[in-house]
Amino acid sequence: MPPVTAAIALVIFGAGALAGSLGALLGIGGGVFLVPFLTLVLNFPFTAAAAISLTTVIATSSAVSAGRTGKHLINLRLGMVLEVATVAGSLLGAVTAQHLRQATLERVFGVVAAVVAVIMVTRMRRRNVMLDPAADPGVLGGRYYEDESSGTVTYRVRRLPIALGASFVAGNVSSLLGIGGGVIKVPALNAWCGVPLRAAAATSAFMIGVTATSGAVVYYGHGQLNAPLAAAAVLGVQVGSWSGLRIGARTQAKWLKLLMAVVLLIVSALMFVRGNQ
Amino acid sequence: MSDLRLEAAVGLVLRIGVAASAVCLAAGLGLSMLLSAAGPAHFLLNAGLIILMATPVGRVVISVGEYALERDWLFVVLTTIVLCELAAGVFAAVR
Repeated sequence: MPPVTAAIALVIFGAGALAGSLGALLGIGGGVFLVPFLTLVLNFPFTAAAAISLTTVIATSSAVSAGRTGKHLINLRLGMVLEVATVAGSLLGAVTAQHLRQATLERVFGVVAAVVAVIMVTRMRRRNVMLDPAADPGVLGGRYYEDESSGTVTYRVRRLPIALGASFVAGNVSSLLGIGGGVIKVPALNAWCGVPLRAAAATSAFMIGVTATSGAVVYYGHGQLNAPLAAAAVLGVQVGSWSGLRIGARTQAKWLKLLMAVVLLIVSALMFVRGNQ
Repeated sequence: MSDLRLEAAVGLVLRIGVAASAVCLAAGLGLSMLLSAAGPAHFLLNAGLIILMATPVGRVVISVGEYALERDWLFVVLTTIVLCELAAGVFAAVR
């Protein structure tokens, strides 16, 4: 790991800003870009990179969710139920990460990066069947006003065990690899559990703060979290996702998604090469 | 509906947490990089990180209280389980 200097802090601030804005533009969070930058480019130990990235996940989750409260996009009750599973997964991941070899973590990251790339380009933007707005959303369902269609979207949550399972896996991968895990939860909630994409994304972004915290605490307690560099990354990601959200309102992200999918496939390959050295 | 009140309270906790941790982290980073004031910088950086990690925990605590006021015992139990899992994380960290 390189010594902590003002120059390296500045580089990490910049990397955080770039990862944060890409994450905001693509709707997947910046961890999947920040971790490979720290490990492959700056040669950080994997756990140190994951720890720094997790702190940025917490910051993004809190900042994004704070701006969204009051719009009913975040399904608090569904979030609380799924947190039971996702935090359990995250705890297990953080404790396991302490015992896994660096090469194993790199290979697992390689697999997940490839999966993220595939999900990103193939994700169906399918419309959810809208129930009668007056319909009962049930205990876990929700109802929110959608600006685009100027109508109320009402949905019920179906197949809760699948949502719980996906949340557990997402939490596990999150603390093991230092990413948010939304890329696993959101498609599952959307495709199988009847949750509209925007509500799924908002609820997932809300949950990952708690998920990442349970992982980050373990790294912090084991002295694997470098405080000044985490600060630089957190501030960079905050600036980046703030600007990314503003650019995102005006750009078509399709070409960017394809480009970043290619980048992630390259990252995946590099992680495998490193893991097998 | 009291879910509205919970949403507002959660939003407030998150906003305060984000702002407080960003201020501490920025000040701590500035002190350690520019003035190499190791003591205060160390304190501010760790305070910033702890506030950052405490923010999501704080909103879970608030949720437990709000669901208890609503006498929604299922959700009191669920949020308490999340809180216990987070406590287990802290335990695993300091062990």
